[in-house]
Amino acid sequence: MSDILSTIASPPEITAAARRLRENAASPAPAAVFDLFEQWAAALDGPGVREIPGVSFLRLWLRRGTLEPILARELGSEAVRGEWHDQGRVRLRAFPLGVVGHWPAGNIEIQPILSLTCALLGGNSCLVRVPGGLIGPTRLIIEKLRQVDRDRLLTDRIFLASFDHSRTDLHEAMARAVDGAMIWGGEDAVSQVRALPFPHWARVVVFGPRLSVAAMDFGTWGDPNQRSAWCRRVARDVWQFDQQACSSPQTLFLEQDGGTDPGEFFAELQRAFQEENRAHPRLEIEPALTSAICRARASWLLEDVAHRACFPQSADWTILQGKGIHIPEPTQGRTLTVMLADDLLEAVSRFDGTVQTLGLAVKDRRREEILAEAAGRRGVDRIVRLGQMHVFGSPWDGTDLIRPMTRLVRHGRSED
Amino acid sequence: MSQVAEQQLAQVEQSIAALLEGAPYGMDPGQRHQALLRLFKQELEYACQRSPQFANYVRHWPVSLSAAQSIAEFPYLPVSVFKANPPLSLVPAGEITRTLSSSATSGQVPSRVVLDLATSRRMTKGVVAIIRDFVGAARRPYLVIDTQENLGRQSELGARGAAIQALGSFATEIVSCLRPVEPGESALDVDKLLACSDKWKDSPVLVYGFTYVIWTQLVQPLEKRGIRLSLPNVHVLHSGGWKRLEQQAVTPDVFVRDVAATFGCARNRVIDYYGMVENVGVVYPDCERGYKHVPSFADVIIRDPLTLASAEPGRQGLVEVCSVLPTSFPGFLLLTDDLGEIIGHDGCACGRRGTHFRFLRRVPKVEVRGCGNLETSRARRGGGA
Repeated sequence: MSDILSTIASPPEITAAARRLRENAASPAPAAVFDLFEQWAAALDGPGVREIPGVSFLRLWLRRGTLEPILARELGSEAVRGEWHDQGRVRLRAFPLGVVGHWPAGNIEIQPILSLTCALLGGNSCLVRVPGGLIGPTRLIIEKLRQVDRDRLLTDRIFLASFDHSRTDLHEAMARAVDGAMIWGGEDAVSQVRALPFPHWARVVVFGPRLSVAAMDFGTWGDPNQRSAWCRRVARDVWQFDQQACSSPQTLFLEQDGGTDPGEFFAELQRAFQEENRAHPRLEIEPALTSAICRARASWLLEDVAHRACFPQSADWTILQGKGIHIPEPTQGRTLTVMLADDLLEAVSRFDGTVQTLGLAVKDRRREEILAEAAGRRGVDRIVRLGQMHVFGSPWDGTDLIRPMTRLVRHGRSED
Repeated sequence: MSQVAEQQLAQVEQSIAALLEGAPYGMDPGQRHQALLRLFKQELEYACQRSPQFANYVRHWPVSLSAAQSIAEFPYLPVSVFKANPPLSLVPAGEITRTLSSSATSGQVPSRVVLDLATSRRMTKGVVAIIRDFVGAARRPYLVIDTQENLGRQSELGARGAAIQALGSFATEIVSCLRPVEPGESALDVDKLLACSDKWKDSPVLVYGFTYVIWTQLVQPLEKRGIRLSLPNVHVLHSGGWKRLEQQAVTPDVFVRDVAATFGCARNRVIDYYGMVENVGVVYPDCERGYKHVPSFADVIIRDPLTLASAEPGRQGLVEVCSVLPTSFPGFLLLTDDLGEIIGHDGCACGRRGTHFRFLRRVPKVEVRGCGNLETSRARRGGGA
């Protein structure tokens, strides 16, 4: 059996792979894709796979119950059945672009898979450049697809390529070979990939660098019966993907109420962090991240005598506490800055498009709607319940996930 | 200064003086640890009295000062906090006699530390005590592989100037052998160098230069012209990191071989030392076994990057440098961005007592790989919402 993931040495290997993907032209019906995805989700439970960060999200993502509504919303309910849908005197149907190139970010283990599933749902074939650090998890996850996809309906439509990020010639060959591209990552990576020589017809969708923020009103944290559960949700959102994802909360705005001491909240948050750390201890760390965490702790406390912090002797987690409505410089590595704010709306009103996701815990529904409206106006693309900041869904970064990699074909009947 | 702080400072100064009096590598490790534990505690308490910001940091440390049983439990500062402006200080501005700044590479913010008169004096004493142990106490001609401008006394001094001037106590005369050719550029004054070489011949000579300066400004130009000096009794001290030489594929072995050949001396007379401006008064020259030794007035702890606990000998980790010498800024316990490993806590075959370690490399920068952003504002990048 051939290797699932190919190490690429020269541009012709990429060109040949793209040609083979094009030869497998017929897309399977959406129902067949859903069935395979369901089986794949069920298979992602073995030892080794289960431990991959984010794989529980991936299992949820691959469920028909998740994907069918997304497909229906983006392409219409007829698309779920692979049919045309009538619109007045014409009928419309989405067709795949062809071969979609994927440049996932290197920090999210499941991102190559999330990206390619979107393109597969649009009926495309996928040419995926897997970042060096993600080769192991990607191989394990795709191996599970290969096990359930006995007729190679999807497996033959995927080509996973591995090559050094500095190999411009290989990036260029990949760009020339595709009809569409899904690009994820930091500023430098995204800029470099965008500048590649894509064909003039290629559609390019970019999911660039963002950060995320959480906000909690007094009605939520002031309720002793709810406090602990909300703190656990905050901790869970911080821990996922080691706080390096664009959807990871870096700052929590905590709305103050008169003279109520937030001490109990901080004690509860500390317990939640300790508990999350026990359940999901870090097994290794880049020394540079350790340095950054130590620097964040020291700088914060030296900057202002009113600043507070809580952290263990290790680099495991850090809670920094201050007051204000600005977003302090993020550290990542499970370092959350909690900012006491008089009014959450003031904080949200200062966002400038950098914030991707706003995780909310707001007791009053009307107030939440006002915050959501303000956040939307200030560039936030996802407003979700705290604890669900990483749940992948469409739209993402304000963009549909399936539709951009399709062509909407219009058929006006000749006899009408 | 409050009366409490004054009393604390007096006690601290007395204890530091006692440590500086003794041989730098002669103390029993157990005794040394106890002496340092007491002294660091006093210094940290004193620093808390002088700086509310520092006190805020110490107050939040997971182990209280009173509960700490070892130096490793004391609050340490990451060395990067000295990039703050204004620099962290424990003395009023009027008492600052000198500011030292690190040799930040282009685009980086240099660290800055402030010295008062007492700290300056201790810095000199510390460096002299250490270097004396390696090259002997005698005064001798001092050849500086740098330009004249780094020799003068200045209130704001860079790492190169500080390193050059720290060795001035060993000099009978000081000669710099580089001349400025255009702003920021220098070239070897070969005639001057050859004249010195003729004059000093078999005498003991002290040479100092930054590692890459010695290589690019002295060794390479002389090799190109086929010139070799004849200074067999020279000691060549160099410091300042290997990054630029690594880019030219120059290994430490090649460097030592070629420097020794250039001066016409034995290879063991070329001594690399590790140091940084923030760790005032302490440098770590390589002993003949290739290890760096910790003097009695300092300590080195290697911290596991994951747990930040003190690592056992043989385990690699982040280097924490500790020095009792500064009282003008809180530079007692500093976590560096360097990786190293403890070789042993005593018993080096070179005969020096106490902890000896190995510097491995700078902490590699982490490539920002992901979609998570570290910019909090689009405006900073010139964009807009």
